[in-house]
Amino acid sequence: MTPADYSQRHLRIGWWWLLVFAGLGLILETLHGFKVGFYLNVSNETRRLMWRLAHAHGTLLGAINILFGLTLRAGYDAGFRDLRTISVSLLGASILLPLGFFAGGIQFYSGDPGLGILVVPVGAVLLLAALFFIASGLKNGPALPKDRPKNR
Amino acid sequence: MSKTLAVLILALAVGGVFAYGFFSDTPSLQPEREVASRPIQDPTNGYSSSDSCQACHPGQFASWHASYHHTMTQLATAESIVASFDGVQVNQVPGHPMRLERRGQELWAELDDPDWNGDGAAPPRVTRQVVMTTGSHHQQIYWYATGHGRLLGQLPAIRLVADNRWIPRRSAVMHPPNIPLVSESGSWNAVCVSCHTTQGKTALSTPWGTEPLFSQRIDTSATEFGVACESCHGPASGHIRANSSPARRYALHLMSRADSTMVQPLRLDARRSSEVCGQCHGLWEYYDEAAERDANVNGLPYRPGDVLTTTRFIVQPSTNSETPMMKRLLSEDVNFVRDIFWSDGMVRATGREYNGLIDSPCYKNAKDDQHRLTCFSCHSMHRTPTDQRTDAAWADDQLKPEALGNGACLTCHSAIAERLTAHTHHGPESSGSSCYNCHMPYTTYGLLKTIRSHQISSPSVQASLETGRPNGCNLCHLDKTHQWTADYLQRWYNTPQPASMSEDDRTASAALVALLKGDAGQRAIIAQAFGSPDAQRASGTNWMAPYVSLLLNDSYDAVRYIAARSLKTLPGFENFAFDFVGSENERAGNQRRALGMWRDLRDRQGRRGDPALLFNADGSFIADRIDRLSNQRNNRRVFYRE
Repeated sequence: MTPADYSQRHLRIGWWWLLVFAGLGLILETLHGFKVGFYLNVSNETRRLMWRLAHAHGTLLGAINILFGLTLRAGYDAGFRDLRTISVSLLGASILLPLGFFAGGIQFYSGDPGLGILVVPVGAVLLLAALFFIASGLKNGPALPKDRPKNR
Repeated sequence: MSKTLAVLILALAVGGVFAYGFFSDTPSLQPEREVASRPIQDPTNGYSSSDSCQACHPGQFASWHASYHHTMTQLATAESIVASFDGVQVNQVPGHPMRLERRGQELWAELDDPDWNGDGAAPPRVTRQVVMTTGSHHQQIYWYATGHGRLLGQLPAIRLVADNRWIPRRSAVMHPPNIPLVSESGSWNAVCVSCHTTQGKTALSTPWGTEPLFSQRIDTSATEFGVACESCHGPASGHIRANSSPARRYALHLMSRADSTMVQPLRLDARRSSEVCGQCHGLWEYYDEAAERDANVNGLPYRPGDVLTTTRFIVQPSTNSETPMMKRLLSEDVNFVRDIFWSDGMVRATGREYNGLIDSPCYKNAKDDQHRLTCFSCHSMHRTPTDQRTDAAWADDQLKPEALGNGACLTCHSAIAERLTAHTHHGPESSGSSCYNCHMPYTTYGLLKTIRSHQISSPSVQASLETGRPNGCNLCHLDKTHQWTADYLQRWYNTPQPASMSEDDRTASAALVALLKGDAGQRAIIAQAFGSPDAQRASGTNWMAPYVSLLLNDSYDAVRYIAARSLKTLPGFENFAFDFVGSENERAGNQRRALGMWRDLRDRQGRRGDPALLFNADGSFIADRIDRLSNQRNNRRVFYRE
């Protein structure tokens, strides 16, 4: 895959993620609006926390995917030594983090989330790895676009 | 920035977060320790306080927080008090006016010094900060800092929540008349602390009552004010420490195993689980002075799951009245048992429900532990998610939803469910078909009302005659005689007739006989029964007012209060104004007024020319009989330990 392909993939994923998890936010607000005990009762505090975290992480990861896609599109690709690893890590984090939080709130044990929460640390490591490779790759990358000669 | 530096910064940040989480403790209690003028909340002996429970048990924490156990003892703040302190003058205690005010966030009271030593013509006025409260459901008591260590004194007036008014502290309990107001300083430190807090420690330098309070060092503390999680589940610090490991927690979750680091009363056997409640809802005494001295320093030794009688003597006249321990207690106070128990050993004061439970056949005679009645058969300390009631509705008596009606009994007594009306001889929807009304009638008194007996029993005229305790039949059929009840019990249940019955018991309403002849406790029970909608439906109301009004000038404040409350439930008396702590002349005047109102109403409401109600055929009183019964009144001292 070329950098352009990766850019296209992450832009597409990012916007879809934003749609899905902004939609989840709307659903959560609706549960608030109708005072649904399944979500709002104090005994369901863990579910509420987990689903809020799923909403927040999903939305944030959507934005990160978009930023990564734009970064590639802007020509910051040369310094990334293994674009595939970064892409797979970011994709894995984008799936595992919100999914783990959401699943952890479906069935839970009083103050402890359900077993779905176990994939969250994996997602967190993947996210940190992707962010690290992006950050370090940027340092080794080409000159900033404004420094490039203009092709007019 | 080099890659190595970035990794280092990241590692430091992550490590720092984990280190903070690992080493930081619960919020510092230093500010509480610095408070010198009142008892403090200071978890020791493995206790932690409910703050530590909320994160893992949010639902249970929330329902406990909504309960009156939680607010049993509170710091006095603008949020916790139910009365106004905004420059209020309180004159409800004759001769002892109080002025209440706020100073910023603090609450202050000016009052006559209850600890006045008698020097001078009158007690000096003192100004004290009100620092703590007891109760919030029915009444609220206010405690002030005396200025002597952590010793608390009590304001002479308390707030009656339902009536939204101040009343004299002494009028809130069944207290003999004409006993002078005494100081209650130290009562909280020495008495209330044991059950109205979690793991309280009196910490007087010498045991309560042995030396003057103001010459002692007083360092009272508790794990937490109010009856909190660890009162029922035991000290939690080991549980918290063990469960800081997620691996342990998930192992327990997934294997559905009980956590051995914490007591779950519902998993204890029936006796041990009821003892968890019985530690406070039972009447007990220390076995000896050494035990009392130890509790003074270290708090009570009982922990949930322990055998309660290992560390305390449960006062249960039906089983241990002949023990040396009981004889010693009676030698120290001859009224010790009589004030709290009927003569057959059934408890008659509220707050001692455990004593009633353990004498119940459903507890004593259960075929196995699974079928033994426990407190948790009917009550739930945490509102369940499926309970549709509000927190406030549940908190009123913390009954399980299924225990609100006959389900409480019919779970075990299922054969009766199939033939309910054949058993009760009342309509299926009638209050006479309520298991509670016949087997747990309102024969226990406390907090200016009657509550259901927690000793399950069947209506017995013989027991009523022997003990003076009204039976369930005559508490509803207020217009009927004991003979009438005995006849029905014989016809329906083959209950033998009592061996003998007086003329009055055969021919006069049992309720009226108790009202006229009974002691103050019996009068309070009858006064409350007159206000029962079920009793009014069963007995008619057009004859009640003159008898209820007799109690408006009773010598006991509590009886007058209940009588006035019941009078207002009678048709035509809804707006009857009456101050139960007014002067005797005022009360007598109101009594005459009530009688006059009844005379005006009776022609419209109809006359009851029923001799059982002590009326002649024309509706006039059988005065000589009423006088005779009144002259036989049991005027013994009644002083409940509520």
